[in-house]
Amino acid sequence: MTAFVIRRLVGMVFVLFTITVLTFLIFFATPGVDPARQFAGRNPDPTTVAAVRHQFGLDRSLPVQYALMMKRLFISRDLVSYGNQALEVVPAIKAATPVTLSLVTGAAVLWVVFSMLTALLAVVFKGTLVDPLLMILALIGISMPVFWLGEVMNLITLDRWHDTFLFSWVPSNGYVPLTQNPWQWFLHLVIPWITLSVLYIGFYARVLRADLLEVQSEDFVRTARAKGLSPQRVLLRHMLRNSMITFVSLFGLDFGVLVGGGALLTEVVFGLPGVGKLTYDSLQTLDLPVIMATVIYGAFFITIMSAVVDVVYARLDPRIRPT
Amino acid sequence: MTGKRRWGWLLGVVAIAAGLAMMAAAFSAAGTKSRTPSNPQAFPKLRAVLDTIDYLDPQQAYTGQSWWAMYDVYETLLTYQHVTGPAGYKLVPGLAQSLPTISKNGKVYHFKLRKGLKYSSGRKVVASDFKWAIKRGFLATGQGVGFYTDIAGAKKYAAHPTAGGNISGIITNNKTRSITIKLATPRGDFLTILALIFAAPVPGGTGPAIQNGSIPSTGPYKFKSYDPNHGFVMTRNKYFKPTKFIPRGNPNEVDVSLVGDADAATQMVINGAADYSNAAIPPDRIANAKSKGRLVLRQTANTYYFWMNINEPPFNKLKVRQAVNYALDRGKMQTLIWGGLGQATQNVLPPTYPSYRKLKLYSHNVTKAKQLINQAGANGAKVTVWARQVSDSVDSATYYTSVLNSIGLDAKLTTLPRATYYTTIGNKATHAQTGWARWLEDYPHPLDWFDVLLNGNRITNQDNNNYAWYTNKTTNKEIESLKKAPVLTPAVNARWAKVEKQIMQQAPWAPWSNRVFPEFFNKSIPAKCIHVQRLYGIDLARLCK
Amino acid sequence: MVEPGATDLTLDTVSLLASEEHEVAIVGRSPWYLAWRRLRRNYVALASLGVFILIVLCCSLAPVYAHHVAHSGPNDIHAGEHVRVSGVLKPVVSGGAVYDPATNTFDVQPVIYLAPTWWHANGRFVLGTDKLGHDEAVRLLYGGLNSLKIGIGSAFLCTFFALVLALLAGHFGGWTDWVVSRFFDLIWAFPVFLLAIAIGSALQVNGFHHFGINIEPGSLWIPTLVISYVLIPYVGRPIRGQILSLREKEFIEAAIGQGAGPMRVMFSELLPNVASTVLVLFTLIIANNIITEAGLSFLGAGVRPPDPSWGNLIATGQDQIQTAPWLCLAPGIAIVLTVLSLNVFGDGLRDALDPRAKVRLEH
Repeated sequence: MTAFVIRRLVGMVFVLFTITVLTFLIFFATPGVDPARQFAGRNPDPTTVAAVRHQFGLDRSLPVQYALMMKRLFISRDLVSYGNQALEVVPAIKAATPVTLSLVTGAAVLWVVFSMLTALLAVVFKGTLVDPLLMILALIGISMPVFWLGEVMNLITLDRWHDTFLFSWVPSNGYVPLTQNPWQWFLHLVIPWITLSVLYIGFYARVLRADLLEVQSEDFVRTARAKGLSPQRVLLRHMLRNSMITFVSLFGLDFGVLVGGGALLTEVVFGLPGVGKLTYDSLQTLDLPVIMATVIYGAFFITIMSAVVDVVYARLDPRIRPT
Repeated sequence: MTGKRRWGWLLGVVAIAAGLAMMAAAFSAAGTKSRTPSNPQAFPKLRAVLDTIDYLDPQQAYTGQSWWAMYDVYETLLTYQHVTGPAGYKLVPGLAQSLPTISKNGKVYHFKLRKGLKYSSGRKVVASDFKWAIKRGFLATGQGVGFYTDIAGAKKYAAHPTAGGNISGIITNNKTRSITIKLATPRGDFLTILALIFAAPVPGGTGPAIQNGSIPSTGPYKFKSYDPNHGFVMTRNKYFKPTKFIPRGNPNEVDVSLVGDADAATQMVINGAADYSNAAIPPDRIANAKSKGRLVLRQTANTYYFWMNINEPPFNKLKVRQAVNYALDRGKMQTLIWGGLGQATQNVLPPTYPSYRKLKLYSHNVTKAKQLINQAGANGAKVTVWARQVSDSVDSATYYTSVLNSIGLDAKLTTLPRATYYTTIGNKATHAQTGWARWLEDYPHPLDWFDVLLNGNRITNQDNNNYAWYTNKTTNKEIESLKKAPVLTPAVNARWAKVEKQIMQQAPWAPWSNRVFPEFFNKSIPAKCIHVQRLYGIDLARLCK
Repeated sequence: MVEPGATDLTLDTVSLLASEEHEVAIVGRSPWYLAWRRLRRNYVALASLGVFILIVLCCSLAPVYAHHVAHSGPNDIHAGEHVRVSGVLKPVVSGGAVYDPATNTFDVQPVIYLAPTWWHANGRFVLGTDKLGHDEAVRLLYGGLNSLKIGIGSAFLCTFFALVLALLAGHFGGWTDWVVSRFFDLIWAFPVFLLAIAIGSALQVNGFHHFGINIEPGSLWIPTLVISYVLIPYVGRPIRGQILSLREKEFIEAAIGQGAGPMRVMFSELLPNVASTVLVLFTLIIANNIITEAGLSFLGAGVRPPDPSWGNLIATGQDQIQTAPWLCLAPGIAIVLTVLSLNVFGDGLRDALDPRAKVRLEH
């Protein structure tokens, strides 16, 4: 176990280091990028640009610049954005994290509950029309691009049917912190939660259904039924627990990606100032410090969750040994 | 006996108390009277919504939104009047007693500061504070610092700025309140540059680190608080004394929220949660918004144009450039790109300028355009059109590309990310033939346009702003000569109009629009309360409810 | 008395007996044939394959539609023109604010875009027009062509590289496996959008003309390569998982025992056994890539305007979603139909090839 942990930690450091170096190189290899000019304003004098370049260490060699940026990011934590010198990167990410967590956690709760419900219903009603119907619905959910669904939801709830009782409660795009006003926080997030979870409900329902069906033909299920246990008890206490392996491992990976800023498109469409939106804005303006910070933040979460999932998977399925 | 005495005693106490109370009331009333004389238009709070600001630090801020607020917070030596219409472009004394005396050679400017000026912190405003503001700009490498490098000694100071260093060209005397500025070379736009908020005096010794909202103010308002995620609050500056040109301001407090989403901001005004929003309402929703609130359309000093590189074929031929100008249907473009919210133009300068004379050199004539292309032998010439990855730039460039194709050229569109666009097209090595551009004025002087964008002497191989690489002996010479004219007299303005016509006859550009921006108010704000200052936009000091 | 040879069993006995049987009765069925039989009975899956093929066909016929039906190219601007809809002459784009120079004021009016004409205008503007007066139906078909090219092309590349990596990792194990797994992690955690934007803009100026490869700026290869690179772990991980479990099986031991080298084991033993998984994943990955391409184009890092793709049609359409919702809805519905048909077929394929569904798509 210890060997595994050490191997994965080494792996994580390797991944983070490589990603940051690659991001750095890609940024400076993009033609036309000149952070000194970005700082120096709209009408810069060549002397001003040179002064700025020197002041921010942009005239030094790339490895030195990289080291300086890492130091500012991790040690002194005073890294500032190229676009706005008053914007400190680490506090910006800290401020954006609760937004992303709110969005992703809420959507996760929704999708776990509804996917389990859908899968269980599909298994119980297997052989009737309900099963393929539910699966088609699930597939439709997976087939929609999330940003398009978000736009359509906005159209329906904020424009076309906003005046009806159905959607008059939907507030304009934006985010209200939980500590400021819990009810508004909730209202602002309902439609984004539904939009984000629709994609995953379908996928997880199918995964769980397939696993449940596979388990159904196992011997221990037959034993349980033979013992006289009711179908519901067999379903919930015996079958479900044994079918959750893939579900749990996939959930871990998806959750990691989403928390790390993978809900970028949803946040942009709904105007939620989370980590994803921060990534999007920084990519539009090619703001390297913010890009670097969001990349590291995202990669960190993804690799951690990947390791956690491997451990859980190994625990649950002794045939697989974690690498 | 005891009862009567008790009553009498009680009466006496009451009388004395009443007397004291009346005196106190008289004092406090007198006190408030002297501090805030009755202003019939004053109201408690203005709730505004802005989409974004960059800084609230005078030596750093460079966006129209930040300047909108700071116009009433940080006063400059010279300022602009709080009036609607063309008079709003005229420079008037701000913190200075009067307009400066300027030496015959245009190199020496002499000001005198007003008497008894104080910051919102109570500290006295002294002449050396102006010098400190300029130095602070260099120390902090503020974005506007390039404007002041013509002051004698400024370039040397800028190379190694230190708190104790000196800019030899600025001489101040706090006792006589005099400020003398010597220029290394004369500049016709120097007065307008002094009116930029970059030159707003700040207390001597204020550090170069960015301070958003905590630097004491000299205007009718001061910043009370600033939260980058939510907005900022402005309250009255109790040490401010109104002048003939700077009013006291109507709102007692200004509450600004920062909301990036245009729909959300518009909705806030419609609901009554805000009084004013500057959000760029998308063209297809403006008609809807107009019915639910009060819409004001504001001309700002901007020009959208397509540049044509006179060094690169086929645009090295005058006939081709003229053909492009004939081929554009400017009227239709306003509808397509802005939903009609723009004015067609063939000028370099926008109509807000006193020197503006509407040019009608190229009426829409596709046949003539095709003829000119034929005559120039440019049929089938391959052209790459450059655009920036912003929707209006892509849309207008798409249209432009189709126009070029319709007159006989073989054009294709290429788009670049926002952050790298200008550096790429401003680099000679790109050999960019033609593309989209726009210019928003920095300050209201023709030099900000012609010298920066169309003066052949200022072309550089990298970071060039003259995207057409336009140079012409006659117009270059005239621009250099006009640089030395310190004041925009009618004669000077006539010369500017002539230069503009000469340049457009050479057609390095195909200008097509002066965009108009929506300002949205709640229905409760009467129309007579809304005043548009030509430079700074909606005059918050004169808004009333 | 026993006849000589009657009960003698020789090496030829089996074949002798077999030849006396009816030939058809004993015919071995390969798993592929059995899978095909199962698939044939799955009408839903076949129907959705049909839908997908229909969509591909329609998009391939985009030039025909443009020329003969709509009389308009995908980038042709018709903004000033008029169209006869059910006999009534209507402008393609009209309205907008009107400026009065005399009073220096604007009369703010909404801009009116021609709504879908369906069959009322002889095939012109079937799906209406967009901001610049394009024929939206033509753009939808050309956009589909681009999106499908990118989706299918990147699926091929991705599956190929993922397969190679997974085979190497699964077979050799140990450090190779560790390196490949970390490589998967690296790609998985990489900011795809930054990569797409940077590569896109780097190649935008001059294209890529090295090593005998010629990529023009604005070429579809750029998003194709980016998407295929980024989705390698998506395909690679499940295959690697299956190979790891296959490796423990006896037939691999037997092959190695017989002296088969690594190449032989990988290509003759492992590969055929993962082939069904690969096929299923390939189908599902096309669907996934179409959605990824849409996302990239939405962010401006995929297909560049003015060339259409379903993703950037949604992106430009969202600006007018309130006044011209068809601009955003049509490409979205097109994506949903295409991806749905692929997903349903992929499901059916998986049921046919691997009815116990042991391996599933991890993402």
